[in-house]
Amino acid sequence: MTIAIILVVAALGTLIVILTFTVSQGLQSSGRTGPATEIRPMDVAAFRNLVDPAEDDYLRRRLPASDFRLVRRERLRAMAAYVQSAKRNAEVLVRIAQNSTLAADAQTAEAARRLEDNAHLLQRNCMFAIVKIYIALAWPNSSLAAAPVLQGYEELNHSAMLLGRLQNPAATMRI
Amino acid sequence: MLQAHSYLWHYLWVAPNLYLLVLAYLMWRRGRRRNYPVFFTFAIVASVGQLILYAADIIPWVSADAFWTVLWCGLLVEALVKFVLIGELFEHIFGPYKSLVKFGKILIRGVGAVLVFIAALVAAFSPVSNPHIIVSGPHLLEQTIYLIESGLLLAIFVLAAYFRLSSDRTSLGICLGLAISACVHLATWAVAANNSSKEVSVLLDLLHMGAYHVSVLIWSYYLLVPEKAPKKHRDPSTGPSAGPSAGPPHEEDLDVWNRELERLVH
Repeated sequence: MTIAIILVVAALGTLIVILTFTVSQGLQSSGRTGPATEIRPMDVAAFRNLVDPAEDDYLRRRLPASDFRLVRRERLRAMAAYVQSAKRNAEVLVRIAQNSTLAADAQTAEAARRLEDNAHLLQRNCMFAIVKIYIALAWPNSSLAAAPVLQGYEELNHSAMLLGRLQNPAATMRI
Repeated sequence: MLQAHSYLWHYLWVAPNLYLLVLAYLMWRRGRRRNYPVFFTFAIVASVGQLILYAADIIPWVSADAFWTVLWCGLLVEALVKFVLIGELFEHIFGPYKSLVKFGKILIRGVGAVLVFIAALVAAFSPVSNPHIIVSGPHLLEQTIYLIESGLLLAIFVLAAYFRLSSDRTSLGICLGLAISACVHLATWAVAANNSSKEVSVLLDLLHMGAYHVSVLIWSYYLLVPEKAPKKHRDPSTGPSAGPSAGPPHEEDLDVWNRELERLVH
């Protein structure tokens, strides 16, 4: 009977998740507030500092082991918050790119597709980075590589600027 | 009404399969068979299989052994087509995204392997509903198939939601119909395997036949009702303009965007 209960709960849970996704897809296509306003500011220099292995090595040499673990966990939590922010921004850029892929101008449509591809790559890297960060939280002495997120974010930025330039050449002068 | 061989029972067994055959015919007429060849095959295989099974159930001279043999064969063929169909839907949803196809395939294969393992464990520990293997076997097999199928569909939906993929409406509809059918079947088979009461079994049969009917209606809606033409002009609520046809440029949107990206790089 236990297996039956587990299967019924699993089936209901699956159905709820799938129906929620379907409804949210419908709502998404019916429009929402301007995606550009949803972009969250990110301090890339601070993030670069957080993911820099040299910084960790320096702290490891300077601090007693117990203090290092405490500091390292704080840094990992901050890193997780940055990665979540990067992921949310990538989601916003995916929506912006999706709106532009229907553009009549082939160059703009191509730039939008490239932006969407880069945003998806960043989302994928963020997913891996989050897993790694939570593993490192449990084991603070491990080495961690969240650098692909940073690199992905910079590539995403180039793609976004290219799309912006194609859509509105006047505005690019201000970048 | 809520018993075996009632009008409702006959309707729920026959009607969805006839609708599915009509849907396959309309797909063929409208040329949609080329876009979804596996779903077209599935519609024919599943509906013909169920109608043969229905005939085997009501024709008095068909023996019980013959009925269960037909059920076994239909189940195996349908399961094979269903998994190929899931592959087709995956291609439709992830195919347009070059950066995700490889990653998605690896992930789905991994999820599939884990699900096969879990389904084998669940089957090993499930109670046997009937001492005759020819009767209890299909129940276990169906439970295993629906467990793997709903897990794979869940993985596709979760991945699509995580990456915010703008999957095409028809693929989403086919996935939704399959998922409803698989989840309800999984839950009803799990309860049926632990229940010996005939009344409850009939109610569960009606429930999963009803769910299958709903699935067929969902497939019909998504495959036959035309999608609204995508807007070429820019929706004011959704970000920067979409090219030369988009009307006047919306610099304020791009300003916000550029400002935030500027903060990012400097």
